[in-house]
Amino acid sequence: MAAKKAGSRLEVEIERSRSECQWDRIHELVKQLSAKLISNDDMAELLLGEAKLEQYLKDNPLKQGPSPRGPRPKLTDVRKHLTAALDRGNLKSDLMQEANLIMAKLDYMEGDYKEALGVYARVGLDDIQLVASPPYKLRMIAEAYSTKGLCLEKLPCSSSTNSLHVDRDQEIITCYEKAGDIALLYLQEVERVQTANIQNRSPKPGPAAPDQEMSFFLETGLQRAHVLYFKNGNLTRGVGRFREILRAVETRTTQNLRMTIARQLAEILLRGMCEQSYWNPLEDPPNQSPLDDPLRQGLNTKNYALSRRPRVYSGENIFCPQENTEEALLLLLISESMANRDAVLSRIPEHKNDRIISLQSASVVYDLLTIALGRRGQYEMLSECLERAMKFAFEEFHLWYQFALSLMAAGKVMSSAASLRGVQEDLQRKALLAFQRAHSLSPTDHQAAFYLALQLAISRQIPEALGYVRQALQLQGDDSNSLHLLALLLSAQKHYHDALNIMDMALSEYPENFILLFTKVKLESLCRGPDEALLSCKHMLQIWKSCYNLTNPSDSGRGSSLLDRAIADRRQLNTITLPDFSDPETGSVHATSIAASRVEQALSEVASSLQSSAPKQGPLHPWMTLAQIWLHAAEVYIGIGKPSEATACIQEAANLFPMSHNVLYMRGQVSELRGNIDEAKRWYEEALSISPTHVKSMQRLSLILHHHGRYSLAEKILRDAVQVNSTAHEVWNSLGEVLQAQGNDDAATECFLTALELEASSPIVPFTIIPRVL
Amino acid sequence: MLGSERGVVEEWLSEYKVLPETQLSAYAATLHRKKSLVSALYKVIQDPNNELLEPICHQLFELYRSSEVRLKRFTMQFLPELISIYLRLTASRDRQSNGCIEALLLGIYNLEIADKDGNNKVLSFTIPSLSKPSIYHEPSALGSMALTEGALSQHDLLRVVYSDLHPQRETFTAQNRFEVLSFLMLCYNSAIVYMPPSSYQSLCRMGSRLCVSGFPRQHEKRWKELCGRVVLDPAFMVQLLTGVYHAIYNGEWDLGQEVLEDIIYRAQLELYSQPLLVANAMKNSLPFDAPDSSQHGQKVLKVEVTPTVARISRSAITTASIRRHRWRREGPEGTVTGEDSINYNDADEGFSSGASVSSQPVGAKQSSSTTQRSGSRKGGSMRSAKEKDLPIYSKPIESRDSTPRKQPIPATADPSLDAIELSPMKKHLSLPAGHVVPKANSLSLIRTSSTSSSKSFDYVNGSQAGGSGGIDGVTNLSACNTNRFSTISLQEDRLGGGEGKDLLSAGAPLTKQSRSPSFNMQLISQV
Repeated sequence: MAAKKAGSRLEVEIERSRSECQWDRIHELVKQLSAKLISNDDMAELLLGEAKLEQYLKDNPLKQGPSPRGPRPKLTDVRKHLTAALDRGNLKSDLMQEANLIMAKLDYMEGDYKEALGVYARVGLDDIQLVASPPYKLRMIAEAYSTKGLCLEKLPCSSSTNSLHVDRDQEIITCYEKAGDIALLYLQEVERVQTANIQNRSPKPGPAAPDQEMSFFLETGLQRAHVLYFKNGNLTRGVGRFREILRAVETRTTQNLRMTIARQLAEILLRGMCEQSYWNPLEDPPNQSPLDDPLRQGLNTKNYALSRRPRVYSGENIFCPQENTEEALLLLLISESMANRDAVLSRIPEHKNDRIISLQSASVVYDLLTIALGRRGQYEMLSECLERAMKFAFEEFHLWYQFALSLMAAGKVMSSAASLRGVQEDLQRKALLAFQRAHSLSPTDHQAAFYLALQLAISRQIPEALGYVRQALQLQGDDSNSLHLLALLLSAQKHYHDALNIMDMALSEYPENFILLFTKVKLESLCRGPDEALLSCKHMLQIWKSCYNLTNPSDSGRGSSLLDRAIADRRQLNTITLPDFSDPETGSVHATSIAASRVEQALSEVASSLQSSAPKQGPLHPWMTLAQIWLHAAEVYIGIGKPSEATACIQEAANLFPMSHNVLYMRGQVSELRGNIDEAKRWYEEALSISPTHVKSMQRLSLILHHHGRYSLAEKILRDAVQVNSTAHEVWNSLGEVLQAQGNDDAATECFLTALELEASSPIVPFTIIPRVL
Repeated sequence: MLGSERGVVEEWLSEYKVLPETQLSAYAATLHRKKSLVSALYKVIQDPNNELLEPICHQLFELYRSSEVRLKRFTMQFLPELISIYLRLTASRDRQSNGCIEALLLGIYNLEIADKDGNNKVLSFTIPSLSKPSIYHEPSALGSMALTEGALSQHDLLRVVYSDLHPQRETFTAQNRFEVLSFLMLCYNSAIVYMPPSSYQSLCRMGSRLCVSGFPRQHEKRWKELCGRVVLDPAFMVQLLTGVYHAIYNGEWDLGQEVLEDIIYRAQLELYSQPLLVANAMKNSLPFDAPDSSQHGQKVLKVEVTPTVARISRSAITTASIRRHRWRREGPEGTVTGEDSINYNDADEGFSSGASVSSQPVGAKQSSSTTQRSGSRKGGSMRSAKEKDLPIYSKPIESRDSTPRKQPIPATADPSLDAIELSPMKKHLSLPAGHVVPKANSLSLIRTSSTSSSKSFDYVNGSQAGGSGGIDGVTNLSACNTNRFSTISLQEDRLGGGEGKDLLSAGAPLTKQSRSPSFNMQLISQV
């Protein structure tokens, strides 16, 4: 606290009341003051004048916009006090100055702008010292600058030349800028003094200091400078002014102002600037900028200095934004945290208005956050932010809707979409009807035609499906799914070469689409022999490497995973559609197979975390794709009877996913190839323990059981397999064989017929490999 | 195309070819003023059969390749039109005629993906974190928001790459088409301030046409050219939105809003969540009042002067008021009964930590976050204590602290700094009343136990909510529950009367909403 002479406890008290704007206390204090010394009378007049003026302002707050005009009867008393104080001339010079400043304020209130400006000229407003001034004095100076600006705005500019106009505008703005700076300093000082007082008085609890309110003049000083900059089309300096205010250390009184200004600056950054026009807050602004009105180009740097400035946030390593979106985000996060603090949680009717206000201010901030984060593709973080907004969101459609969309955008509902994809047998017919209706409603929509074709294909109505897929391709010639389906349909008709040609065509448009590539490998090994197929596998490995440059799995922690995700997300959405790693051969995806693939993932993660060499970080999909490539290669090797090469390929896949049922199944295949039937049986059993509905494993296992003469168990497994996938002709065939061996010839015949029928319409890979995500 | 326009274009074509290197800068300074040239160039680009198209595309590429940034931007202004024409021709499968536009787009793309030294350009930005001090804030002053576990888990600023790994492209394929176009739009948006109004108009036209062509809404449009549906990609639509957003506020208020609606229409039909999310936010945050429609082409960067007085009445229960309330209740010794501790889960902490608890590794990180949080206490709610290391109890204390429910804890009877450090954590300790708090030397032990107990607490709530604690949604639910719980208990306190009630209602008469008038300033300036 400023040291005052001893015994002037009263003076300290007066100073405190003036600083904290407790005008009602002044009257009491003035009485005590007058009782002490006659010479205090002038001082008393000054104080009473000030207190009455301020009390009047408190009761009749000024409005922004229309300015006061004409004498006010209630203020005659004030003028009397001030005139008395000034006329006798007994006051010390600094008190004289104060009386004059109050008088000028009164002049402004009564619309006498010229007189007010005259007073400011006389007292030398620009020469008043800020250093060592008590807080109340700072407030007076700040208000004086603000009042001066208001007066200047009111008086017409004498000159008509444009350049002088610009000068005048700048003079007005400078007044407000000084007013704002000193106002911030005052608020910081008064808070500092209050804090010190509370500390001195502890532990005896005193009355909490009242929250400072910002007077009309301080508010004007703090806000009108940037408002004028924007009005004059000078965005550069407007932004600069915003930043100056925000860099000042906050006080309780400025919190609301900061919340608003932070949001407004973020708006300007997002709406009116771009990366190339950006300069960071610690840099000098560009001299010329397209942001500014070319007719009013002035200096883009500050043209005044104060002997004392408000404290700003400082320190080593403090974060300073370097980019447009970065700064907008920082400001919005600050604004958000403040809006959140004001979230009205109670739901009683009395607080309805408060709720609406808090919701509105938060809602704008969340919208801007969405715009800023969406621009940078940060949907994950966005969904976290919007989750915090949920406390406002009771019965608020917009916030809920946005939150749901952000979750979708961040890919958090993919798993639920995948589970929806599972279409049960009886639902298939309904789906077919629905797709037919969709197609008839929108005959120009290629997707409707495609889904209809796909649904027909799944129910093995091959010629009809071909008709619709051709329609889809007429509407959208380079849709990868339609091309893929066409190729599969051709393969179902055993036109393998045509199918392969279609695949080549599709791959010329989608060279990095792995689903297409997998199908191509299968077709190639049929049409062009194993060498071509192996070359394709090698090619796929190269593509994989160039697509996922995941060379640094050593980085750990959130940062890198976010970074990986950013890359992976884009890949996933734009370029790569991945095969469903759960059973692609099943016509309908059962819940168990999804669960199985979860278990598979989890176990693989556990197992691979035990091996130090296996990759642990990063998204799973790329690694799954890699494993699939190796398994495809293994299959080709098995097809040409090369068990050791196949084993090597499987081992590569196993390094990634040791617990994958696909890996275990392939191991079983190799064992069979080597004639090691018992070992094969164990592998198939292991595969089934991971994924109980893996149809291929079921079929192979039952064959072995059949071989061992355990017919009823084989039959049981095959019947289960048919339940899982009723269109697998191998299963029907095996079932027929088992039934035949058991002497059930009628049933066996039926199975064989079914198998034959299905085989005639069986594509090279199941139709369900084509992703069906709407 | 008129003969005069043709003349302008031909003059431009020949003029640049003979331009000496030394005059490049002067040429660049004047080029953007040639309004008739720009409109003639648009006409040529829109007409795929114009024989001037190829030389123009070639020259635009030459300008883009030059060292002069203003020439680059001259080419850039046509980007929306070029993309629009390219996509429409692609959709109509008239692919032969857009060869030179395709080449120009790929040329610009291949120039932009590399930096000066020919390395792949990596565009990244930092996600600011409130838990790290910045030029605009001090973490402690923001209260516990900045120091939730969620926030602390990302205490280090995150550097996020939003664009990289763009390979050189020699041809367009269906697969790479939107990767290239999205990146081009990203480049356009990063220089959008330098684009002339005609370019914004072209951008808006492009947006509308691409989004509604071939859809029923096309019939509502004034333009009639027939064109099938154009495939769009969500990331591309988000980039498009970024440009449109700028156009709305910089001269194309009406046109821009029309496109915004069209993008929403298309995004809804396609179920594209990303553009829908962003477009909804843009639409919802539009200023209520349109600018003066008589003056076309104005900037609408609205800055309103808002009242600085708190607009929320003090009697309303807010996150902040709960915190204030809690501090009064915790009192000098920071004693808390076991029952109470439930209510002490901070409202906003509950939200963030609820989501992050499941992914937080237990260990050193946890204990450090606890210390930091205690720091926030002193700085945030106890602003007065910030200057010195002042004990918590120096805050004005209400007599409520002597309620019989509270049981003083003997071990912490002397108010040392250690005891104060302990108090904020204690809110998580769900221990029976009267539990003896160990002395300061076992501090670290306590910390771990306190965090783990708070964790288990969250899980308990989770299972009450009817699910396992592993999934995000469920833990959030539990957070909501906690939150509501504390609100309710607060209200009960108020009804229960005593000091607390007086305190809260004392502020009621002070309710001032917009006491200070807000005057809205619409800042309009000629473009």
